Amino acid sequence: MKLLDIAFKDMTRSFRSANALMFMFVIPLLVSGMFAFMFGNLVHGGKFNLPRIRLVVANIDHNAPRLQGGSNNIPGSLHANSLAELVVAVLQSEDMTDLLEVSLVPDADTARAKVDNRQAQVAVIIPADFSRQFADLNRQAELEFYQDPTLTIGPEVIRSILSQFMDSLAGVKIAADLAIDASLDQDYSLVGQVIQRYLEITQLGEDPGKDLLDIHAPPSTQANDNPLARIIAPIMGGMMIFYAFYTGTASAESILTEEEERTLQRLFTTPTPQSTILSGKLLAVFLTVIVQMSVLLAASHLLFGIFWGQLVPVGLVVIGTVCSSSSMGIFINSLLRDSKQGGVVFGGVLTLTGMIGMVRIFAMGAPFASGLGEMVSLIVPQGWAVRGLLQAMSAEPPGNVLLTALVMLVWSLVFFISGVQRFNRRYA
Amino acid sequence: MNAIQVQDLYKSFGEIQAVQGVSFEVQLGEIFSLLGPNGAGKTTTIALLSTLLRPDQGDALVMGQSVREQPMEVKKVLGVVPQEIALYEDLSARENLIFWGKMYGLRGAALRTRTDEVLETIGLTERAEGRVSKFSGGMKRRVNIGVALLHKPQIIYMDEPTVGIDPQSRRNILDSVVALKDQGMTVLYTTHYMEEAQELSDHIAILDHGKLIASGTHAELVKLVGEMDRVRLSFHPQLEPDLAAWKAIPGIVSITNEDGALSILTPDSNQLLPALFEIAISRGVRITSVEIHEPNLESVFLHLTGRALRD
Repeated sequence: MKLLDIAFKDMTRSFRSANALMFMFVIPLLVSGMFAFMFGNLVHGGKFNLPRIRLVVANIDHNAPRLQGGSNNIPGSLHANSLAELVVAVLQSEDMTDLLEVSLVPDADTARAKVDNRQAQVAVIIPADFSRQFADLNRQAELEFYQDPTLTIGPEVIRSILSQFMDSLAGVKIAADLAIDASLDQDYSLVGQVIQRYLEITQLGEDPGKDLLDIHAPPSTQANDNPLARIIAPIMGGMMIFYAFYTGTASAESILTEEEERTLQRLFTTPTPQSTILSGKLLAVFLTVIVQMSVLLAASHLLFGIFWGQLVPVGLVVIGTVCSSSSMGIFINSLLRDSKQGGVVFGGVLTLTGMIGMVRIFAMGAPFASGLGEMVSLIVPQGWAVRGLLQAMSAEPPGNVLLTALVMLVWSLVFFISGVQRFNRRYA
Repeated sequence: MNAIQVQDLYKSFGEIQAVQGVSFEVQLGEIFSLLGPNGAGKTTTIALLSTLLRPDQGDALVMGQSVREQPMEVKKVLGVVPQEIALYEDLSARENLIFWGKMYGLRGAALRTRTDEVLETIGLTERAEGRVSKFSGGMKRRVNIGVALLHKPQIIYMDEPTVGIDPQSRRNILDSVVALKDQGMTVLYTTHYMEEAQELSDHIAILDHGKLIASGTHAELVKLVGEMDRVRLSFHPQLEPDLAAWKAIPGIVSITNEDGALSILTPDSNQLLPALFEIAISRGVRITSVEIHEPNLESVFLHLTGRALRD
C-alpha cells in the first residue's frame, strides 16, 4: 500500500509540473500537428491532391493493327481501336482526371513544342510503328517521353503509370507473337484479335486507372486509409517514443531531487522499508510513461486519424517502450551525482540516442537507405521501439511484434538491474 | 525505563571522526538538549539515533529497542524533525501531512482526523490547501514539525528547528516544544543556541568535536565553572599578547585573550573591576567596553574548551 502511496505522490508531482506536461504531451502533439498542417493542403478529402499534370499526347501510329470489332469492344469503359489508342485511352480514363490533364496533338513536333513552351509538362509520343514493335517478340516497343527537365514529380508519375501499363501487357505480347507464328504469313490483323481476346480474359481494361494508382500506396501503412494519417503516423510515433524516453529519465530523476530536497532521507526515518520506497518511486516512473503513451496514442488517433494497429501488437509495443524507457531512465540517473548533472546528460544522451532511434523514420523517404537506417537505429532501445510500432501499424504477424517487444524487455532488464544495484549501493 | 540510552557510540566518515564514544541517557517525558557548535556531531548523533546511519561501534536503545538490531521498531516510536525543511513544496500542507501520515501507517478516518488536529496544532488550518512553495520560512518550519507529530510518537527528535527563521516563528516553535513535553512526549533537541538549551531543557549534553564533554541539568553544568562571573573587556589600542600583569590580579580564575579582548572568569566581578582599570591605566591602554555575564552555558563551554560556543 505504501508503495502505491509513494507512486501516486510522485505522479501527482509530475502531472502538476507545467514543464513535464509540455514535454510529455504538448510538444509531441504540436510537432506532429505542424506536419499535419504542412501536408494538410497536399492531402485533402482523404486523397492526395497533387496539382494536375499537363500532358500532351501525339499518337502517330495510324496504321496500327485494329482490335477485333473496332471501338466499344474493350471490356470496361475504354474505347480503342488499336493498341496505341488503348495507351491514349488509359491516360484519358476517368480515374486519371484528378491527376492528368491530357490534350492530343497530331504530331511529335507539336507535342515537343508544347513542352518547350511550357504549355505542357510532359509529352508522350506514340511512334508510327509502336504496335508492330509490340507484336514482335524480338523487338522492344518504345514510347517517346519528352519532359520539362526542371520537373520531377509529375513526369515520374506518368512514367510510372505507363511502365505499369506496358508491363501488364507483356502477356499480350507473348500471345500475339505465338498467334503470328501459328499463322505463318505474318498476318498482323491477328494481333488485334489476340489483344482483344487477352484483354477480355484478363479484364485488364476494367478500370485500369484505379489499378495503376493503387500501386503507389505505401505497403507499410495499409491500415491508415487516410493519406494524411499515413504521413503523420511515423512522425507522431517517433515523437511519442522520443519523448517517452525523455519522460522515463525525467521521472526517475525524482530519486535524485528527493535526495537533494532531503525528503528521501526523511522517508528513510519512517517505518517504511527502503525497498518499498525505491520500488514506489520506480513504479511511478513506469506508470507515468504508460499514461503518457496511452494519452498520445488516443489523442493522435482522434486528432490525426492515425490507426496504430491491433490492440495486442500495440499493447506489446507500449509495454516494451514503457519498460525500456523507464529502466533506461533509472540507469542514467543512477550514474549521476546530482540533478544538476541531469540537464546536460539528459539533453546529450537522450537527444543522441533518440535521433539514432529515429533514423529509420528519417530514411523512409529514401528507400535505398531504409535498410541501413533500420540497422543503425537498432543499436539503441528507441530504435527497437520504433521498429515495434511500425510493425504494429503495418499489421505484421504478432510473432514479429512479440520478438521486438522481447528484445526491448531484455534491454530493460539490463538497464533496470544495473540501475537498481547502483541505487541500492548508494543508499545502503 | 529511559526513553533513550546511548552507549559508547562511534561514527566516522573516512578520516573524520564525527562521533567519538558518546554516551548519555534521556528520561521519559523530558526535554534533553544536545548543545554544541556547528560540526560538533549533533546531527550525526541524531542520524544514528533515528537509524539513518549505522554506528561503527556502540549502540543506542530507543524505548528499549536497539537502533542496530531493531531499526524498524525504533522508527515506529520516533518523530524526526530534520534540520532542513524536508517537504514536497509542490503539494499543499494537507497533502504533505496526509502523505507522511500514510508513511507512518495512518489510514482512512484516523488519518483525516489526525491531519486536522496537527493543522490546528501548528496553526495552519486556514492555509491547509495552500502549496508549501508559497509559504514563508516560518510556516514551512511549522509544517516540518507537524509531519513529525502525525503518528503521536513517544519520542521526537528536533534537529536545530529554529535555524534561519524570524524571532516570532522561533518563539512559536520554542513554545510548541514545551507544549509537546506537556503532552507527555520526550524531546531530544539539538541546538547551537545556548539560550534555547537553557530555556527549554531538563537535561543538557554539551558536544564538541564529536565528544560529549559535559552533561547534566543547567544548574549542574553551571557548577562546573564554580558559578563564576565572566567579564569581557575590550581595549584601545589593542592589548599586547603578554597577559602576565593581568594574571597577577587576585580573584582571577582564568583569563584568555580573544582577538585583543580579555575574557576573565572570577567569583566576584564587582571586586575585580577597580584592579582591572588600574592595570589598564598603568599599561597605557584605554578600556572601551566592559561586559559582565553571570554564569551560563556559554561560560561552561568556554571553561571546558577554552573557546566561545559561537566560534
